[in-house]
Amino acid sequence: MTTSSQVRKVEVKPNYENVAWKWMRYSGIALIPLAWTHVLIKDIVVGVHAIDLEYVIVQWSSIGWQVFDILLLAFAFAHGMNGLRQVSFDFIHGAGARKAVSWGLFVMWLVISAMGAIAIIAAAQNHLANL
Amino acid sequence: MTSLVDSFRTTMRGYLTYRGREGHLAFLLHRLTGLGTLLFLIIHIVDTSFVYFAPHLYAETIELYRSTPFMIGEIFLVFSVIYHGVNGVRIAVVDMWLPHKWTLTAQKNWTRWAVLITIVLWLPAAFIMFRSMLVHNFGFGG
Ligand code: HEM
Repeated sequence: MTTSSQVRKVEVKPNYENVAWKWMRYSGIALIPLAWTHVLIKDIVVGVHAIDLEYVIVQWSSIGWQVFDILLLAFAFAHGMNGLRQVSFDFIHGAGARKAVSWGLFVMWLVISAMGAIAIIAAAQNHLANL
Repeated sequence: MTSLVDSFRTTMRGYLTYRGREGHLAFLLHRLTGLGTLLFLIIHIVDTSFVYFAPHLYAETIELYRSTPFMIGEIFLVFSVIYHGVNGVRIAVVDMWLPHKWTLTAQKNWTRWAVLITIVLWLPAAFIMFRSMLVHNFGFGG
């Protein structure tokens, strides 16, 4: 073994947790423009008193905002749910229990993501069909 | 079942009694703001999906967000998203690109900078949202 003040690089075959760890960092950086732009527009510039059904439908009749909202949904919710999974491992140590919690969170993520994505895509389609 | 309670106790005791000063507080605040934002995000995805699944109910959920308690909550939510983001970038940059720059004193300083940047970004946002609350909910002249 060599001793040195340099950081030593060791090649390790990436496993699932390795990928998840990187995902938290890359998706976090992607969320700076995505989440902050969203908050700046909706909460600060427009404000909750100016948001209603019509406002949302008009937003989603723009393909650009549909894509933006889909990306925000995908990155923010997957980042947050994987974060919750990591926090839960601080409290749950058994391999079987961890597996069960992971699957539970995964199903929850899938169902809620699908609800959000369907609304973004279908609400606008629906509206266009009625024009 | 007892082991679950025990491990919960042990982990919580660690969270609360570890004395890592800046690093400890940054960790707790990062975790709290992340989980808080996630809790809101779950509710928010569902209520927004009402636009398609139950349009007649959408106005009612928005009415709730316009209430004073929720508008105050919104101000803290925005704080959470700013702090968690600034501190998250600190973590990501050190972990992935500057691990050789990691020293305890440097990270203490970076952590303080993260809090300072958060406050500078949050104050104007908080001011605008607070003002909007006074105008819409308490009849102050726009
Ligand atoms: C705004 C940009 C964001 C950045 C730069 C960011 C960055 C990060 C990073 C680097 C971690 C990993 C911490 C670690 O492993 O030690 C993390 C954890 C986490 N994030 Fe984010 N994040 C952002 C937005 C969000 C949003 C919008 C949510 C809510 C859905 C969220 C929820 C969480 C949760 C629940 C954790 C786990 C907390 C923990 O491990 O202590 N984050 N974030």
